[in-house]
Amino acid sequence: MTDTAVPSPGHAPSAAALAQRRRRYAADRRLRAYGIIAITFALGLLATLVVSLVVSGYPAFTQTFVRVDFPISEDLVDPADPGEGNFRKIMQEGVSTLIPGEHSPRELRAMAGILTDNTQFLLRDAVVADPSVIGGTLTMKVPVSDPFDQLNKGLVDRDTPEDRRRLNDTEIGWFDALVDEGRVSRSFNWGLFTHADSRFPEMAGLKGAIVGSFYALLVCFLISFPVGIAAAVYLEEFAPKNRATDIIEVNINNLAAVPSIVFGLLGLAVFIQIFGLPRSAPLVGGMVLSLMTLPTIIIVTRNALKAVPPSIREAGYGVGASQHQVTMHHVLPLAMPGIMTGTIIGLAQALGETAPLLLVGMNAFITSPPGGLLDASTALPTQIFIWADSPERGFVSRTSAAILVLLGFLIVMNAIAIFLRQRLERTW
Amino acid sequence: MGMLADPMEKVKPVGDARAASGSNKVSTRDVSVFYGEKQALFDVSVDIPANQVTAFIGPSGCGKSTFLRCINRMNDTIPIARMTGAITLDEIDIYDPRIDVVELRARVGMVFQKPNPFPKSIFENVAYGPKIHGMTRNKSELEALVTSSLKRAGLWNEVKDRLHEPGTGLSGGQQQRLCIARAIATRPEVVLMDEPCSALDPIATAIVEELIDELRSNYTIIIVTHSMQQAARVSQKTAFFHLGKLIEHGRTEDIFSNPREKQTEDYITGKIG
Repeated sequence: MTDTAVPSPGHAPSAAALAQRRRRYAADRRLRAYGIIAITFALGLLATLVVSLVVSGYPAFTQTFVRVDFPISEDLVDPADPGEGNFRKIMQEGVSTLIPGEHSPRELRAMAGILTDNTQFLLRDAVVADPSVIGGTLTMKVPVSDPFDQLNKGLVDRDTPEDRRRLNDTEIGWFDALVDEGRVSRSFNWGLFTHADSRFPEMAGLKGAIVGSFYALLVCFLISFPVGIAAAVYLEEFAPKNRATDIIEVNINNLAAVPSIVFGLLGLAVFIQIFGLPRSAPLVGGMVLSLMTLPTIIIVTRNALKAVPPSIREAGYGVGASQHQVTMHHVLPLAMPGIMTGTIIGLAQALGETAPLLLVGMNAFITSPPGGLLDASTALPTQIFIWADSPERGFVSRTSAAILVLLGFLIVMNAIAIFLRQRLERTW
Repeated sequence: MGMLADPMEKVKPVGDARAASGSNKVSTRDVSVFYGEKQALFDVSVDIPANQVTAFIGPSGCGKSTFLRCINRMNDTIPIARMTGAITLDEIDIYDPRIDVVELRARVGMVFQKPNPFPKSIFENVAYGPKIHGMTRNKSELEALVTSSLKRAGLWNEVKDRLHEPGTGLSGGQQQRLCIARAIATRPEVVLMDEPCSALDPIATAIVEELIDELRSNYTIIIVTHSMQQAARVSQKTAFFHLGKLIEHGRTEDIFSNPREKQTEDYITGKIG
């Protein structure tokens, strides 16, 4: 640390000083290189994740349909009561027209397997919606069943020995004939967003999960936002600073670190067993999620309140505002952008939370979207869990697609949070 | 200023008794302040006359701001602060438990060291105090009060065309005059100023000092300042604080030309501080 070791401008630095300077520069460069390597590594992992999800998930965003002409005879459907027709028979008749020639009943059953198992219900809905087709022919694009969907998307290897394939050569032959006839089409799979869960991948969608997640997050927000803000305002603005509030503060911070599955057990034991709330309901899911979001919201709200400069409080007190008025008129509005940002991030965490929802039964198999807070439902992450567990090939791509949808929601929520922060947050 | 149609009327006094005009507006007896265990102010007794400017001078940490903040009970907002002694405003004890601190602060306005307008419009800044105290019956009265307050603070001509722009967008000197307008909008009798010019450039300082001199006719002003020249320019009475004690107080001319105490002389001649 002698003065001679630091050359002043204009003087020739000594060799030792030059060496020291080189080492210093090299250290700077190394530090920067480490940072760049770390960021590249992190981005690489993220890219790997997204690319693998897109590659495995994109087939689920399209669905193969086959155009079938169903003769709707009055023998099978009573125009007075179209809902009660024999649509199974109609389906079979429609299928038998697809491939020319005589077919054994066994072959007909196999041919019916080209279409989704839900075809008869789709037919019923279509006829009920438009009874004028009775007596004529109803031409419909029907989703094909999962194995044929996979075949059409090129995900089935035709070179595999026949006995190890889901589809035998005859079935593939039928399907190719339909393709040649121009009856097969592939379009965007709106069903992914408009259907609820189903046993059949070609009919399974995320609507139930999305609606369930929405209800759960709504409950979570309605509980944790007001309670969290009230708790934080009390702790920050009103509470005396003593041992009791210290203990409360430490415990809130600890609460934020409690594994989410523990909250799930608590929800199961308290909300379901003691309060008798229904299992699988978004209400219970939202209440459990709010337990997790609450500490986050309290912590971000306290930080946002702390960030409001004391001069604003003094200004308020100086003109004779009461503590309540200073808090409600000045401090809280100024802290609101920070609170909103933190809340959205907390809700985004809650949206992706799986374990507590599994424990309160939001991983049930439910084929219709919930109509209210007490209806059984799934949520996006639990739907992913269910689909990931399903053996059908079609659910593999649907799992990835559902993850992409969930990530999409998370990105949108975080983007809103960033937008709010940049748009509304002040600097002093 | 006198010819303004001023909607201000005197706020009703905290108690019934009202000192005769010309007497002391604020009196303190043996005021000591503790921050936790540490004593910041020792037995300060001083009388502050009405319609004059009283300056508190002294080196940093001498307790002058602490003392100023006792007069509108701003120290109440600091949990560890504790005060003993008595302070009266118009001979009413302001630390009496029956005193409503909110009303007190409307009667004893305050201007802070750093301009701290609310991040709201200029109009809202001035209108806030009257609104929360319910001082005006309707919108036009409120507008008249805001206008007259801004005029008294000498800011009207600069902001009359942009009353609804944010107060934080003004220059530092304008912001400080906005804070003065905000303080006088609640029709206080006493205005406390805690180093109001320390964040301002010399030109803005000169404008604010001129304003303080004008305000003297309507308000009792107590100003804390680091600048002895400022004390000499704007005040009629000066009190010198050192290490939490009131060393000397009296007429400003006397303090600066003929101090009784050695410490005062050392401070104003630059030997300590």
